[in-house]
Amino acid sequence: MTNKYTINLRKAKWGTLVMCSLLATAPVWANNSAGSYAAVVQQPVTGTITSKTDGMPLPGANVTVKGTSVSTSTDENGKFTILPTSADAVLVITYMGFKPQEVAVSGQNTINIILEEDQTQLEEVVVVGYGTVKKKDLTGAVGHVNGSDLKQQGVSDVTRTLQGRMAGVTVEASGGNPGAGSRILIRGVSSLNNATPLYIVDGVQVASISNLNSNDIESIDVLKDASAAAIYGSRAANGVVLVTTKSGKAGEPVFSVSSNLGMQRLYKKLNVLTAEQWANVSNAAQDAAGIPRLELAQNPASLGRGTDYQDAIYRDAMIRQYDLSVSGGSDSGKYSVSGGYVTQDGIVQNTDFNRYNVRVKTETKKGIFKFGETVFVSRDKQTQMASGWGGQGGNPVGSAVKMIPIFDIYNPDAVGGYGGAYGPVVNVANPVAQLNLENITSENTNILLNAFAEAAILPELKYKINLGYTNNSTYAKDYYKKYQVGTLFTHPTNDLTEAKSQNVLVLLENTLNYAKDFGKHNIQALAGYTYQKYNYKYTSAAKTDLPDGIEAIDAGAGTANVGGNATESSLVSVLGRVIYSYDSRYLLTASVRRDGSSRFGSANRYGTFPSVAVGWNISNEKFFEKMAAKLQTLKLRVTYGELGNQEIGDYQYAASIASNINYVMGDGQTKWFGATQTAFASPAIKWESTKTINFGLDFGLLNNSLTGNIDYFSKKTTDILLNVPIPGSAGAITNPVVNAGTLLNHGLELGLNYGGNAGKFNYNVYGTFTSIKNKVESLGTGSQQIFGGQPTHHGASTTVTEAGGPVSAFYLIKDIGIFQTQAEVDSYVGPTGQKIQPNAAPGDIKFFDKNNDGIIDNNDRVYSGSPFPKFEYGFGFNASYMNFDANIFFQGTSGNKIYNGLRQDLESTNLAINYSTAVLNAWTPENTNTSVPRAIASDPNLNNRTSSRFLENGSYLRFKTLQIGYTIPSSVNSKIGISSLRIYASADNLVTFTKYGGYNPDLGRTGSIFDRGVDYGHVAYPLARTISGGIQLTF
Amino acid sequence: MKKIYILFGMTLAFASCNTDVLELTNPNGITTDTYWRNENDVNQAMAATYGLFKNVDGGYWGVRGTELTNGRGDDFFIRNDVSYLYQLATYTNTADNGAATSLWNIAYRAIFRANQTIENVPNVPGLSDELKTRYIAEAKFLRAVNYFNLVINFGDAPLILRVPVDKNDYYYPKSPEADVWTQVKQDLTEAAAGLPVEWPSASKGRATKGAAIGYLGKAHLYTGDWASAQATLQQLTTTPFSYSLTANFGDNFSQNTENNSESVFEIQLADVGGTNPWGGENASESLGVTTAQEFAPQEVSGWFEVSFTDKLFNAFQQERTVSGDLDPRMYATMAWNYPGSTFYNKPFSDFTLLFGYSTLIKKYQNYTQTNELVGSSGAVNYTSSNNERAMRYADVLLMLAEAVTQQGNPAQAYTYVNAVRQRANLAVLPAGYTKDQMMAEIRHQRMLEFAREGFRFYDLRRWGLLQSEISNSDKQGRENFNTSQHSYFPTPQSEVDSNPNIN
Repeated sequence: MTNKYTINLRKAKWGTLVMCSLLATAPVWANNSAGSYAAVVQQPVTGTITSKTDGMPLPGANVTVKGTSVSTSTDENGKFTILPTSADAVLVITYMGFKPQEVAVSGQNTINIILEEDQTQLEEVVVVGYGTVKKKDLTGAVGHVNGSDLKQQGVSDVTRTLQGRMAGVTVEASGGNPGAGSRILIRGVSSLNNATPLYIVDGVQVASISNLNSNDIESIDVLKDASAAAIYGSRAANGVVLVTTKSGKAGEPVFSVSSNLGMQRLYKKLNVLTAEQWANVSNAAQDAAGIPRLELAQNPASLGRGTDYQDAIYRDAMIRQYDLSVSGGSDSGKYSVSGGYVTQDGIVQNTDFNRYNVRVKTETKKGIFKFGETVFVSRDKQTQMASGWGGQGGNPVGSAVKMIPIFDIYNPDAVGGYGGAYGPVVNVANPVAQLNLENITSENTNILLNAFAEAAILPELKYKINLGYTNNSTYAKDYYKKYQVGTLFTHPTNDLTEAKSQNVLVLLENTLNYAKDFGKHNIQALAGYTYQKYNYKYTSAAKTDLPDGIEAIDAGAGTANVGGNATESSLVSVLGRVIYSYDSRYLLTASVRRDGSSRFGSANRYGTFPSVAVGWNISNEKFFEKMAAKLQTLKLRVTYGELGNQEIGDYQYAASIASNINYVMGDGQTKWFGATQTAFASPAIKWESTKTINFGLDFGLLNNSLTGNIDYFSKKTTDILLNVPIPGSAGAITNPVVNAGTLLNHGLELGLNYGGNAGKFNYNVYGTFTSIKNKVESLGTGSQQIFGGQPTHHGASTTVTEAGGPVSAFYLIKDIGIFQTQAEVDSYVGPTGQKIQPNAAPGDIKFFDKNNDGIIDNNDRVYSGSPFPKFEYGFGFNASYMNFDANIFFQGTSGNKIYNGLRQDLESTNLAINYSTAVLNAWTPENTNTSVPRAIASDPNLNNRTSSRFLENGSYLRFKTLQIGYTIPSSVNSKIGISSLRIYASADNLVTFTKYGGYNPDLGRTGSIFDRGVDYGHVAYPLARTISGGIQLTF
Repeated sequence: MKKIYILFGMTLAFASCNTDVLELTNPNGITTDTYWRNENDVNQAMAATYGLFKNVDGGYWGVRGTELTNGRGDDFFIRNDVSYLYQLATYTNTADNGAATSLWNIAYRAIFRANQTIENVPNVPGLSDELKTRYIAEAKFLRAVNYFNLVINFGDAPLILRVPVDKNDYYYPKSPEADVWTQVKQDLTEAAAGLPVEWPSASKGRATKGAAIGYLGKAHLYTGDWASAQATLQQLTTTPFSYSLTANFGDNFSQNTENNSESVFEIQLADVGGTNPWGGENASESLGVTTAQEFAPQEVSGWFEVSFTDKLFNAFQQERTVSGDLDPRMYATMAWNYPGSTFYNKPFSDFTLLFGYSTLIKKYQNYTQTNELVGSSGAVNYTSSNNERAMRYADVLLMLAEAVTQQGNPAQAYTYVNAVRQRANLAVLPAGYTKDQMMAEIRHQRMLEFAREGFRFYDLRRWGLLQSEISNSDKQGRENFNTSQHSYFPTPQSEVDSNPNIN
């Protein structure tokens, strides 16, 4: 009977297992139940032991009957059979790196056990670039996330799931549009130029990791300090994100299938006026200005609610994601193959995204040789909304709130079928028309190939050659139908633009790795040479006047337009690193990389980037033994290093001649081709360099159930590469890249993790805290001020960056209340007694004359706050009870300001657009207790100018994730022949607590650093709340 | 360990022999090192300098430039759509004003390009001295016109006469208004000496000797040097010049009668090149302007951004022609409601007057079409091909009249004023006008003759009449006008922000 059981279970294939359980095991159970239970004391127990993390079987785990010497080990499939000594026997299961578990037999024949990884015990390995290092030997500041932590949250983007997980790593959504990706900032802004970190996937540099499938990810390691990142030299100043995709493990094939189904809904709608309300406000504003009322608004009471353009463009949108993977292998070869598909509708009508991806990763060993490769191919297609049809509305999201609700969505008589604005109102395009009459798609194909061969020349010396290739091709299409939308937007022909671009990176790396222990001395050394070349090509073609329904360039009868360009760059580097540890107590890491880049002129082409780090495992010292009862882990790390940044355009060191700057000449009025120098070159530009010092402390308390780390760092970036604004009088069309100044950053990061259990209730609480301050030490001309963040189509700048201050501080004319009486206006006088605001009347905003010169202008701007939070945090709670698990995550910021650009428009009653409901509370002689100025169409006092009036508190706390899962009991698993089955429900972006009035306080958006904290709501794509459910199956 | 060092050394050696892989050249275009080799390069650079006159953002004769130069006049209204235009038209503009900033920046771009030509032409191989002189003269004309446009709008301005060598040359202080005028006159004098009286027909539209003299005369007039203005402008009334007023006033604003006998300097515009009038400086840019589109009424797909005030409407009706009709210039300048009035081939009654003003703008509009939006490329066409006349002979005549009158010789002004009046079918002036009477007549004629041509505001300033004429107008925002604040634009905020030496 024992044999029968074992054989049945072992050989059973998934497809037949259900059958087996029904047919084969039924008689056995019948026999059992026929006999006396007590009589069969020595009934064997069988089962499978799997890892909780990935559902994989654990071969070689030890199973002992508690209090006896009876024990066995699991086989290669994680299965065991044991004969308990009594009916109330308890089995103790132990496995290295996992938490021990005890299970009462209680008469069961089959006991499947899931072991939970013990993070503190496991000799965790951290990826550090061109190799790995044991966590205990690590000296640098490295953030580490396991793929298993990136559970599906109903979002299709990997980077989003990193938000708040690692101290010092800020993740912001680039927008709510499907496929938008995220922007990652590591340890704040170390450059004013390009703050994007270096992304490396399986050893190959990529532009973005947004196209990866979170199910494919084994781990993400973020190299934060100079010591850890220095091996990437010139590209590492913004930090390095290393993604390792999953590899197979020796053993039976493991299949995983998962699917997720979610629903997204607009998180927040802005409150704007109904048609009747709008007409009343408009009439009041025209009356106040002494100009005739708009004909449109003649009879407010007859207008009713009008059109709700927000309701017209938003929808509940579905997201679905399916993944399948198989992995396995033997001692000589391992494989992991996966495929996935995600399809997502956007919450804005007619926007969507879908992506297919396939990944193959294998590794083969023979003798001293090892070969391996990663092949990753993804293809996605995105349908975007129009970016705006000119005019003043912005994109459809902006137009939806600005469109006067009197106007109808449809007009069957108009070309194209849509209604729109008419009369003397601001040019805002009907957003529904924009979404339906312009079709913008882009298709991206991403190929990543990485192949390596490794030879163990000596047991301790390995040579590795690595070839990498990435190809990212994009095909973009913009089809623009003919239309007449209201009287302001006319487009008489169908037009088509198609564009193709290709980015190719070729990488060649030769490395030698040496690792050997000499007694208590452990040495790991690396030397390498790398070469990479990057090519970019772009072509576009456009034609006008296509027949209805035809979307091919050749069919166009109108004018053709073509374009194209190309760039290339290359980087040649040598690198070396030594990691030395003595007795796991004293640790030293030293590395150097020398890079040569084509982006600089020959005089400044090479840069050398050294780093050194020391670590001390205090808890491994003898003298520490006395303390060990209280404090189990204590490690001190000190690192220093220099990193570079070369993220500027190509060929900046040479002044080029721009062509096609044309004019007309002659009786025939024909094109006169023009070309000249239009911008300045920077022949002397050199590397931007960042020096970082880092102090870190790792600790573990309460038997390492409470672990944490604290890091303090100080960074100094010199020779910042920046397009420094030069005066318009210099005559250039763009600002030249120069080595512009020095920037300081220092910060504190804290990570804590506490795991515990109460009976069957296991839980884990974790949190991160980051506080970073930046300061500009010097900039450009010395007195250089760089202004940025123009919040609306017509607003002045909102931020200033200058020596002595933080990057991109808000710098605004200050709103100091409302004039209640004419006497107040008249008595607000400057030094010579003249009225400071001569055009003001009661109900207008009083502005602060900071320089006391009797006029309000840009010289009265004052520091008004920072777009950077005083601190950011994230905290989460994972728990499991019986077969249930729950996962909660919060994240937030504190102390940052946001300039609400869209509110500036929506409260500007001088613009004939729809307004925010805030204007219903405008000042009137009867309504004086308000901060909203009087409604006036001409705005002679410039109430709506860019000022502190529209600056808001940007702090928020977001309940980002709530997930509840249920795993089918292992006793059921065996009957249906699977390893694990989990179902879950999840909510993403559940609720955000904030005083901020715009769509969402984490603005994201990939703009200039000088625009940070400015909410461009008129061209945004708001974030959605997502509720989803899914199944994860492993067999 | 020794092995490691050896291998590391080998790698380094391998690396060092590959440094040439870092020498990459820009595949998109040549660099300044290899430019200026021949006459073709010079001509290309010249086109790139002229091209800025029509630039959509801030070219002086592009749409924003036309809105800016007219918008502050007592005869012009800009509606509240594009905020910065509305603000400058209602005198609530600040130093951030987008239109004024662009005007400044684009003028300086042209100056930078002209300076390149002036500096590089002497070294172009194979170019005759005669041609070098001519090209330098042409570049100096372009530089002078841009400085002229800057100085009348901003007053003091940086005077930059050479190409920056390094980054220290980017930060010029402002020069006093008088110094800018001196430079304008010097450049125009040199330009007049080196430019041809006429270009071959294939090159028509480029700056001529007459254009340089015309601008020089204007510069003298603007600076109150009446005698020099008279002496300069009089040259244009005799050989080798053959300027004359067109018989039909409207020919000066029609696409079919461009570069005519009255044209002293004309901005060349055509719907050729690409199709996108907002495309910026590249192959897709359409080489016309969108002004007509922005000024047209909504019934013909226009954006009705601007209107004439009724002050102008009334001014036109002050005097009838010798045949008792209204001034023919009125019919060419505006559309209004009179029996049989049509516009864009539609009865005038089909149009709605939106702002309480009585007229619609007709000058430079493509009103012979049925819709402003139908253009020559047959596709989306926001582009007007109608050349903007920067200086007409009528302007020369009225400037001459002013120059002589201001010198106390109103009698000498009669020929010039009467020429303009007679073309408009008005009676010749009665004899015996005093200086004040003649100036009043010149002011009146300039208002009618050049409506929408961008001179009114600057004329009023020269005459010291900004405050009074704006105040007595029916222009929206007139109450905000303040001579000390609004006679010139403040130096653009972006210039102040980025230029520590701007003072």
